[in-house]
Amino acid sequence: MLTRRQQLLFLTPLAAILIPFLLWPALLGLFASFTNYDPYQRTSLQFVGLNNFATILRDSDFQAAIRNIIVFAIITTALELVLGISIAYALRRPFRGRSLVRFVLLLPWLVSPVANGVMWHFLFDPERGIVNFWPALVGLPHLPPPLSRGLAIFAVMAVDIWRKVPLVSFLVLPGLLAIPAGQWDHATIEGLSFYSRIRHIVVPHIRLLLLTITLLLIGDTLGTAEGLWELTSGGPGSETITPGLYSYARVLHTYDSQSGATSAWLIGLAIVLLGVCYMILSRGEIDA
Amino acid sequence: MSRLGSHFRISRRGMFLAIVVLACVLPLLWTLLASVQILPDAIHTPPQWEFELSLDQYLEVGIVQPDFMLKVFTSLLVATGTTLLATTIGFFAAYSLARSRFRGRASVVQSFLVLACLPVISYLIPLSKLMDTLRLTDTITGIVLAETALYSPLAVYVLFGYFHSISIEMEESARLEGASLLRTLRSVVLPACLTGVVATAIILFVLSWNQLLIPLRIATPHVNTIPTAMIDFFTFERELDWPTAAAALIVSLLPIALVVALAHRALEQFSLDISHHKT
Repeated sequence: MLTRRQQLLFLTPLAAILIPFLLWPALLGLFASFTNYDPYQRTSLQFVGLNNFATILRDSDFQAAIRNIIVFAIITTALELVLGISIAYALRRPFRGRSLVRFVLLLPWLVSPVANGVMWHFLFDPERGIVNFWPALVGLPHLPPPLSRGLAIFAVMAVDIWRKVPLVSFLVLPGLLAIPAGQWDHATIEGLSFYSRIRHIVVPHIRLLLLTITLLLIGDTLGTAEGLWELTSGGPGSETITPGLYSYARVLHTYDSQSGATSAWLIGLAIVLLGVCYMILSRGEIDA
Repeated sequence: MSRLGSHFRISRRGMFLAIVVLACVLPLLWTLLASVQILPDAIHTPPQWEFELSLDQYLEVGIVQPDFMLKVFTSLLVATGTTLLATTIGFFAAYSLARSRFRGRASVVQSFLVLACLPVISYLIPLSKLMDTLRLTDTITGIVLAETALYSPLAVYVLFGYFHSISIEMEESARLEGASLLRTLRSVVLPACLTGVVATAIILFVLSWNQLLIPLRIATPHVNTIPTAMIDFFTFERELDWPTAAAALIVSLLPIALVVALAHRALEQFSLDISHHKT
């Protein structure tokens, strides 16, 4: 066991890096969202209360972003978990080449988010891409362009699912492999269906792991935007805009950093609230 | 015959996994083909392939220009520095938390996961101002410090799980026999969870290799990592053509895929599960 001094000493390097380079800028950003602070203009700093928040909440782009992200996050996260668990389940028994499959599952995630956005932008091209190749191969008519009005949100969800489902299965598999073999034998004797195996064996054993993955998935969906910027830039219209993209575009491209930083802080707040839910749901899982 | 039959029978599980593998690989294969100017033409039925096999796109991306190796080197340096620093810092912090008993410890550990989910964009502007003040803008040190702060919370969370799951009896007997704390860490604790530490390091390496916003905002024009160098080929202001973008993607993917392929045995042990009943 460590002495109190050793415990604190071991935490010092972490504090020394987190306080100046993460916590301090994050709090400064929060403070700035209540002022007229603008890094690109020299104006006298004034406290404006909740004005910045009121401005973006009135912005129709931001309203669309909120509507989109709710649908987007619920559908993609649910599908990513279900498909990811199913793939991991199919991989739980060893076979020749399983290691190679596990490596392949990491490939979509290895492509950087920006490159992924560009790649799918072109793969969705009706002529040069991958989507119309298959119907043309069997003589079916062309599909409507995936990034067109009404369809773009589903295309964007499909890209997110392509990127994250394999990663989820990669992360879930070690959890499944740690389930004692007796549990599976028991399930076979009882003749449990796939659904009841997942519900009564898998989920109770890897509850905390699943909650952890869920939080990471939602965090990534809410916060990252560079891939979406390349893929659709929020269009057509504002059909695929998300709060992350709204912040990204305003901070990096239109230099309206006040709205950008304010909406980014709302995302941070949403993540903290989800984090509290995760802590409540996983109570007792870490320390008995 | 029945033996042969069962050997060749494709199970439902096999079919399902084959579809999954194809779904992962085909988009990347399309990209690889496009990067050497092999493009499908789906207007015709059946679709045709256009062969204009050429490596011009790779020249366009700049792999033969003298500063390309410099960018690769910068990326390797940033990702290696970030990985080593974040893993080391996380190692000590996670060990300290795993071997302490206090009320609310679980919440402290979990708050690191929440911190790991915080988007960079919410503190990017104050961070870049801070880097200006510290004269760390456009330096490798600046990027490494910022990325270490970004990724060490995840390292703490994951490494806590490994320390939490290994038995502490060996450590205690080593201490009783008079080994110092650092010696115990080096000769007892580290060997017991080495695979986990390596797996965590590889994950951080990938995250850092692909990190765009931090180098884009606090570095450039002088310090260029591969993602910031490649962004030029991914922006629509520049006449963006697919084969060149595809070549840029392949060039930035290959090194990291190589690292992951070499380390995949360790990566298979990567576990985000930090629960006490983990076996």
